[in-house]
Amino acid sequence: MKGNIIKYQRDNIDTDVIIPGQYLKVHDYAELATHAMEGLDPDFHKKVKEGDFILSGKNFGCGSSREHAPIALSHSGIKAVLALSFARIFYRNSVDGAFLLPIEIEEDAYNGIADGDEIDIDISKNQITNLTKNQTYSMKPFSDIIGKIIDAGGLFNYKP
Amino acid sequence: MGKTLFEKIWDSHTVVENHSSPSLLYIDRHLIHEVTSPQAFEGLRMNNRKVRRPDLTIATMDHNVPTNDRKLPILDETSAIQIKTLEKNCNDFGIKLFGMDSPNQGIVHVIGPQLGITLPGTTIVCGDSHTSTHGAFGALAFGIGTSEVEHVLATQTLWLQQPKSFEIRVEGKRANPFAVTAKDIILSIIKHIGTGGGTGTVIEYRGEGISDLSMEQRMTICNMSIEAGARAGLIAPDEKTFEYLRNREYTPKNFESLVDFWKDDLKTDTDSKFSKQFILKANEIAPQVSWGTNPGMTCDVTENVPSPDDFSKGDANQKKGAEKALEYMDLESGTPIQEIKIDRVFIGSCTNARLEDLIEASKVVKGNKVSQNVRAMVVPGSQLVKKQAEELGLDKIFIDANFEWREAGCSMCLGMNPDILSPGERCASTSNRNFEGRQGNGGRTHLVSPVMAAAAAIYGHFVDVRKLSLN
Repeated sequence: MKGNIIKYQRDNIDTDVIIPGQYLKVHDYAELATHAMEGLDPDFHKKVKEGDFILSGKNFGCGSSREHAPIALSHSGIKAVLALSFARIFYRNSVDGAFLLPIEIEEDAYNGIADGDEIDIDISKNQITNLTKNQTYSMKPFSDIIGKIIDAGGLFNYKP
Repeated sequence: MGKTLFEKIWDSHTVVENHSSPSLLYIDRHLIHEVTSPQAFEGLRMNNRKVRRPDLTIATMDHNVPTNDRKLPILDETSAIQIKTLEKNCNDFGIKLFGMDSPNQGIVHVIGPQLGITLPGTTIVCGDSHTSTHGAFGALAFGIGTSEVEHVLATQTLWLQQPKSFEIRVEGKRANPFAVTAKDIILSIIKHIGTGGGTGTVIEYRGEGISDLSMEQRMTICNMSIEAGARAGLIAPDEKTFEYLRNREYTPKNFESLVDFWKDDLKTDTDSKFSKQFILKANEIAPQVSWGTNPGMTCDVTENVPSPDDFSKGDANQKKGAEKALEYMDLESGTPIQEIKIDRVFIGSCTNARLEDLIEASKVVKGNKVSQNVRAMVVPGSQLVKKQAEELGLDKIFIDANFEWREAGCSMCLGMNPDILSPGERCASTSNRNFEGRQGNGGRTHLVSPVMAAAAAIYGHFVDVRKLSLN
């Protein structure tokens, strides 16, 4: 899975900036997508392209349980979020609805990958390749249940 | 080896037990509201599924309901649609709803305990992160997303990886229990362990500083467990818990026999092991005020706004976060907290809008007037809280002081209804999140206790409530 990075070099990106509360009444996902990241980066919807990835620090997606957060990112084209760590509910929401892949990375990837870099994520090898810089980094493997839900294509397709 | 309270509740609810991988957990109570449930019901309909246990599912509307006169129509069209949709869904699927005109309507985490729906030893979920509130009763309660809401509606279960047990001990007694509240305890905890400090864990709050608290104060503590990144927070039930639940509208008929069972079972064994521990001394806690854009960015009311260097202690991301927070909050490092002037005051939310919160705040307000430059409002957590407060004459105290006295709902905690900050406005808020834009685009939030918010309303800036003389 190849894509370009949109990097936010900070911790604690919360779901209120990913999709502000006033838009939780919006049920049209295409419209919701136009407000993704609006609280932090009002130009996000102009620069994001189909297949891009977000890179950020610790505790990504903290705060509210709103599933609108991964939905807004997903419908704006984001296929994966790479972060040093995730808040639990955002992480589960991303996987349960098969909206995007939440990928936990280490410091080397966080520091090595810059905004705009093209990377290739190989889930089967738990490896990230930075095609722009010709570097590789490891990603933390998905836990058993998360891997199975991802493979199934979401919580409702998962059959134990 | 013994088990922690959390492990006991977990083990008694696993339908499929599997220690190395996830467990299928049975859910005893499912609370739903208008914002995170519509897509879940839509999913049920598309797949021709029913709600498995409508009798264990309880609904109310709180997030986007207006807090002005209930007789007026809802002007915001999309809010009106969400509210109508919940009414239809509850009607179609046979779910009990406490709607707009119900005397039991209110914030979902206020009405659950108040109606005796929240019980010790149970598992409780809701499509809302502050579901951790119910942990104050010794329940395992946590927030879920909409896909999981649909899964619980359809199956009454959830696939989960077992979190670890985290002990937070608050030792000793508070020096001034009026001025140093449960809110100050939990903000202090988050200040120390950080917004990710509880990740992957369920916190059990223990010690004299916790058992000393009333049930409503304990709910404030557990409510903000999610702000420390924890899956849930809980407190072992005791006599205060049982007394609170006795004779509530939905308290089970066999309550006293349940109490006997809970007394024996719902406690952490002395030979059990927590995977993490944090200890705080109650008498060292001062009234807290958040200065930044997450609840960990908090300091004592007597301190100054910290510099990014002092706050970050060498962590580059933390430093950058603090710099951005100061810019957003329009604050200079070194400014005394008590010199920060405010424009708005919000006393409300699932953290601090229960009867006791309003009683304590009213003691500060009584006989005073809101500062000329401040607009202040009280939004009771439920219609029942509002009614009880009015029976005590609290509405009169607040209204005489020029506070607005509103109908129940989430209101300005999350900026979904018309109660929002304007860009640049600064608010002393008893809510739980000071994230950028949380209370309205460009709004600036300082998290405080109800008594601190009330005092800020009167003085127009933060004051140390330990120094106040009350009327």
